[in-house]
Amino acid sequence: MKAAGVVGLAAGCVILAASAITVHGQVRGAAERLKTGATLEKPKVAIANDAEASYCTPAFKEVLARVIHACGLVGGDSRRGCQPADVKTLASINDDDFNALFAPLKSRGAVIMFDDGQDKLDDQAKQIIEDRWLDRRGARYFFVVARASKSGGADFNRTLSHKRANSVLFDVSDKFKDKDPDIDKEVGLLWLGSEFAQLGKDYCDWNVSRPGKCSAEAINRSAFISWVDCQL
Amino acid sequence: MSAPTSTKTPFWPSALALVASILGFSFALSSTLDYTSHLDRQVHDIHCSFIPGLGADATQEGACRAAMYSPYSALFKDRYWGGIPIALFAVGAFGFFAAFALYMLLARDRAPRRGQQFLFAVSLTPLAVSVLMFVISLTKLGSFCKTCVGIYASSALLAIAGVFALIYDLRRAKAALAIFHAKDKLPVPPPVKAAVAMEAGEKGVPPTVVESEIPAVETPAKEPVKEPEDAPFTPPRTGGPALIPAWLLGLAMFTAVPAWLYVSAMPSYATYVTGCGKLEKLTDPTNSLLHIAPAGARQQATLFVDPLCPTCKGFHQRLVAEGIFDKLDTTLVLFPLDNECNWMLDRPLHPGACVVSKAVLCGGDQKALAVLEWSYDNQEALLAAAKGSGGVAQVRSMIRDKWPGFDACIDSKETKQRLDRTLRYIVANQLPVSTPQLFLGGTRLCDEDSDIGLSYTLSKLAPQLEISRSR
Repeated sequence: MKAAGVVGLAAGCVILAASAITVHGQVRGAAERLKTGATLEKPKVAIANDAEASYCTPAFKEVLARVIHACGLVGGDSRRGCQPADVKTLASINDDDFNALFAPLKSRGAVIMFDDGQDKLDDQAKQIIEDRWLDRRGARYFFVVARASKSGGADFNRTLSHKRANSVLFDVSDKFKDKDPDIDKEVGLLWLGSEFAQLGKDYCDWNVSRPGKCSAEAINRSAFISWVDCQL
Repeated sequence: MSAPTSTKTPFWPSALALVASILGFSFALSSTLDYTSHLDRQVHDIHCSFIPGLGADATQEGACRAAMYSPYSALFKDRYWGGIPIALFAVGAFGFFAAFALYMLLARDRAPRRGQQFLFAVSLTPLAVSVLMFVISLTKLGSFCKTCVGIYASSALLAIAGVFALIYDLRRAKAALAIFHAKDKLPVPPPVKAAVAMEAGEKGVPPTVVESEIPAVETPAKEPVKEPEDAPFTPPRTGGPALIPAWLLGLAMFTAVPAWLYVSAMPSYATYVTGCGKLEKLTDPTNSLLHIAPAGARQQATLFVDPLCPTCKGFHQRLVAEGIFDKLDTTLVLFPLDNECNWMLDRPLHPGACVVSKAVLCGGDQKALAVLEWSYDNQEALLAAAKGSGGVAQVRSMIRDKWPGFDACIDSKETKQRLDRTLRYIVANQLPVSTPQLFLGGTRLCDEDSDIGLSYTLSKLAPQLEISRSR
């Protein structure tokens, strides 16, 4: 009986010691891996970001970046918008750049049309602005590019163009400022006078606010609006 | 098996107890080692088989992982990261039972009766725990892990061994009593007679010869005595009263020492659990996010989920099972990993998640949780429908069947825009494109702490949740 007791006790001690040492070793091993970071490599996870559409080619983004930086959108600058002189000197933008910037946005944007010499938005224009604004998806920047036709003096046209851009901005702000306090960081204004590239009649095929009244001259009394789905 | 009237102790109950204990020990050790490997806060493969220590494929592993991540897998989870695995206590207990069964097997008839009685009593405790865990697996987890089943089976075998050990012990005692009562009718061998009389309290016959007066005689050399088949019955020895407390002490030591060593070797996790970032923008100025605040909510939380993400489902179930969800004042942010509405992906990770997310939004603050939990409950069917020939239209149909009033809302511009704003909130916070994500008062719960380390981490990040009182 004593022998059985001794064998049982010895077996118990061996089992206890073996299991305790094994478990202790495993825990120490895990602690060491935790401390040294010697673990499996973590899969890289993307960070949530703005949309990046297929039209965001390097060339397109370069033009976009020029305008954004020149027009005070990036960096919390108090400047609001660009006029052609700014763009030409600060962003070194030319007509080709300008066309390259907006041509791919045909389906995403819209052209808001104005009466001759006027900057007031009609109901149809307001509706289109609202629709386009709400269809933001993952876009970061909303561009407003206002224009004036060639009729009239250069200063008058530049001022008129500026007013038309502001009309769009004020309309958006009035409706959505409470829901989107960052509008100032999202909307980029560009007002172009008659000396800048004029739009051709083919732009009447775009989403225009007055589809029945579009002509080569009328299409330039306008403001082009669009969200731009590019990361910068 | 021995005949009922036998006065011999059969070897098989002790042998069975030994085998069951070794089996239980192996399963418990395998489970414990799987658990400890996760103490580095990483995900590792686990063993999940009816053969202790054998690996498992992904489908088999699911049940074992579910059991491991459940709140029932360990004790003191709020005090130690991951807690102390219950399997570790089983390692100690089965180790003790193995040693004790070996002793009983070797001692056989010479073992005290208290040994059989002790084996019976303590062999029922693993069975009791196994029954409890079986019920939990059945009712709470809905699956059985093979390693756990191995422990249940070992416990059952050990209990069977213990019961039969007791039965045979009682039979031996009964046989001894029968012999005692038949002493007037049958010649009772003197040693039996004396033993029975002593047990009955008789003092015995005083010596007739004074020891010093015995003349010295040469004792003849003893010849080896061959015990006949029907050797005289030796009454079972009861054993001293201190035996059972001593064995219990041994059992306690076997279960406590590994646990003590386990805790003493654990690293400090305090610095790790707070190092996974903050939520830059706690509030959403567009009021597009859902808000779920049960009556007992006491901790602000922001939870980013995809209704068709299996990990979100598991995480939600864990929060509910641990009684945590009801204590959270939750801002629910839908983050469907489906490129139908989420521009951050170029392909759908969970097809159909956009339309289900819209349904959750349509539920508003009042019904959002119900819709979300419905989507979790039917997640596999919804995903299968979206991937099938019916596509997202089939998912719409399933939503319509359950929530007929949501149809117009799901299609509305407002809902689409609300979901866009929700996603923009995620962009504004520059979060990883991954779900689920939980922020407690702005501090992110690390992915590594969302399973076995959940209770500990929550007790550190949100002490007001009083995790230890949750269960």
